[in-house]
Amino acid sequence: MSNRPTRRLFAASACLTLAACASGQSILQAGNDATTSTKPVAPSTTAGAPGPPTTICLVQPCATTTTTAGAGPTGLSAAPGVTMVMAGNPDFAACPVDALEAIDEPVRITFWHAMQSAQGDALTDLTNLYNASQDRVVVELQNQNGYEELIDKYFLASSDDRPHVVQMPEYMLQQIADANTVITTSACVQAGGYDISPFLPRAMFAYQTGGVQWGMPLNISTPVLYYNKAMFEEAGLDPERPPITLDELRDYSQQIVDSGAATYGIAVDSGVNSGGAWFLEQWFARAGLPYADNDNGRTARATQVLFDTPEAVEMLTFAQQLEADGLALYVGEDPRGIDGLLAMADQEQPAAMTIASSGALGGVLDFVEGGAIEGITPAEIGVGPMPGPSETPSATIGGAALYITRDLGDAEAAGAWDYLQYLVTAEAQSFWAAESGYAPVRADATEIEPLVSIYADDPRFRVPYDQVNFDADDFTAVGPVLGPMRQVRQATAQMMAAIYEGEDVQPSLTAAADQANLLIIDYDNRN
Amino acid sequence: MPDATPARAPWERSTRVGQIGRYALLALIAFIVLFPIYTTVVAALKPGNRVLVNPLVPDSFTLDTFREAWSEARLGRYLGNSFIVATAVTIGQVVTSLLAAYAFAMLRFPGRNVLFVAFLATMLVPLEATLVINRQTVDALGWLNSYQGLVVPFLASALGVFLLRQALLALPKDLRDAALIDGVGHLGFIRHVAMPLLRPTLGALALFTFLGTWNAYLWPNLITDNEDWNTVQIGLRQLKAQTLDAPNLVMAGTIIAAIPIAVVLLIFQRQLIRGLTAGAVKG
Repeated sequence: MSNRPTRRLFAASACLTLAACASGQSILQAGNDATTSTKPVAPSTTAGAPGPPTTICLVQPCATTTTTAGAGPTGLSAAPGVTMVMAGNPDFAACPVDALEAIDEPVRITFWHAMQSAQGDALTDLTNLYNASQDRVVVELQNQNGYEELIDKYFLASSDDRPHVVQMPEYMLQQIADANTVITTSACVQAGGYDISPFLPRAMFAYQTGGVQWGMPLNISTPVLYYNKAMFEEAGLDPERPPITLDELRDYSQQIVDSGAATYGIAVDSGVNSGGAWFLEQWFARAGLPYADNDNGRTARATQVLFDTPEAVEMLTFAQQLEADGLALYVGEDPRGIDGLLAMADQEQPAAMTIASSGALGGVLDFVEGGAIEGITPAEIGVGPMPGPSETPSATIGGAALYITRDLGDAEAAGAWDYLQYLVTAEAQSFWAAESGYAPVRADATEIEPLVSIYADDPRFRVPYDQVNFDADDFTAVGPVLGPMRQVRQATAQMMAAIYEGEDVQPSLTAAADQANLLIIDYDNRN
Repeated sequence: MPDATPARAPWERSTRVGQIGRYALLALIAFIVLFPIYTTVVAALKPGNRVLVNPLVPDSFTLDTFREAWSEARLGRYLGNSFIVATAVTIGQVVTSLLAAYAFAMLRFPGRNVLFVAFLATMLVPLEATLVINRQTVDALGWLNSYQGLVVPFLASALGVFLLRQALLALPKDLRDAALIDGVGHLGFIRHVAMPLLRPTLGALALFTFLGTWNAYLWPNLITDNEDWNTVQIGLRQLKAQTLDAPNLVMAGTIIAAIPIAVVLLIFQRQLIRGLTAGAVKG
């Protein structure tokens, strides 16, 4: 070194660099170790003396049991002897449904959503129709380009920067409830005397926890089975009869591979938004098994996951065997959810089936119709319910719901509630489902145009609807509600990846369950 | 008698094999670098239904993709936003870095070295670590969805200060003394002596700053929730999300977003070269 200042400068830089790197962690992770408290947060249910089951329902009068799908009010009934306690907050915001009467100029509300391509266009059309149909409320759409960005921005925003209406995906339910930044749909339904009986029970139930209806479901998607009808025919299978049970899935795959119709029976992935979460959650729901305690987190916050069971080992071993025997192709982590579909389009080593979101159907058909893939025509793409461990196809509700932000003004809240009601009318839902490929949230939407024609002309589009059009009298059927749902899904996705790569099922399952429990404890400590 | 042919350096001696080897290596590197650009251009010029067939062969031609990408994705407005932000940040960073570098290099004041090390230490903190805090600050100032929010946090750069300080220290001391004798003062020195001589460094700094700001996605995305304020990178992300079945549109959008950068590069390249060759040959 030529002079002292430079030497000092060099020494200082070297020390600083060493200090920053020596901790061995990324600066983002420093200090962020998982907290392991010795005692999990006690569940707030009291197992008292046996008594009649407590029912909480949203609209009086209440039936004690729910009967056929869509008829009667939706009710939650707790197990005998268990009292339901409202999840956490005594400070629920009221819903000022009459505030629109007192305004003298139109109320402007903002709506943050994450709808893309055809779904975004459909939402824009509906909103324009709403704005044109009345002069009290003007809705401004702000597309946030994806659920991740939307969630980040919403929770980072200060209270007056939040939008009046926000769309949040289903896994955010517990976080929204704990943040208490919204006016519950229960409050608005009760204040306005709104009739929710036409809605699909499962759709409403999916956004209830602690006996409170937090959000209004808007878009419903479920995993469905996509299959190549031409390959089915070539293998000697009925192209109109896709596999329903797991045994059928295996038999069909075996027949397809043996006959040479395709190289693989089915393409499977382990994505966080797809296979990594579906195989556990959907199959548990279908088999009537609880995923988490406290009734899947619906009566009170869940304190632990319950999926480390022999039944799960059996189901996951089935999946592992399918892949190990060459009947299934594992396509990896599939971040965009399309790798399974691409495997079906592969020219050299195609798969005959895959499980993907029902929302992709429109896009898939458009893509194939453009002739982008040789050898498949749109008519040859079949859609069936997701195969699972039961004879009756059924799925949990995926998608998102709408929430009204509180404390942004009474007139704005009333305007937001008015807009929400519009979006879930039968006509709007029929249009919405027809354009977007989502399932409608109410049964009567399937009986009016344009949806009734679409379902009649192309029954493939009604598969997601049929999978969720059931009673909601069973906590297991609507899937779990967990605070750190997203991170738990990452843990199960890693587990699925390990299983497909040949790791033993039981240790992987236990590791995932332990990780999930730690996440839940950490979440409960922070909230 | 002196030798007629001067000695040649090893890299100047041209054997046949050496020449062929050099060209082969350059061709390989050029191929690797240009191949993605080639596929992007080919895909952008194909209509939708041909984009997956023969992805490397330009067997069909259409300019509709550019028109569609421009209008559907509102790229015009977003390009304007990006351009304003990138220009403001570049000018700001160059000005503040030059002034600060001048102070660190030429002036003596108590705590100068400590302050300089503190400046350097900020380079060790990654952007992601301060993202949330900065957002809260910008929110509190009411600068969400505004040019101030996009520009002000980036008006100073420790890297710029460092580069320019080193460049100023490399200037011969006689220059400084001559300037003192002429009585130009601080700003005069910067304007008449430092800026012309530092042109390559300034050009490089401006170029990198413009490029970095143009390509930034994380910060603009975080502080804007109104579509009118999107920069071109957010616009591209939106285009990608909106047209899941039309990769050729995304390619066309990418090319549209890259053209201004290419233009800026060409302009600054001339400055860079001119600056580099200005003082190279004495006399």
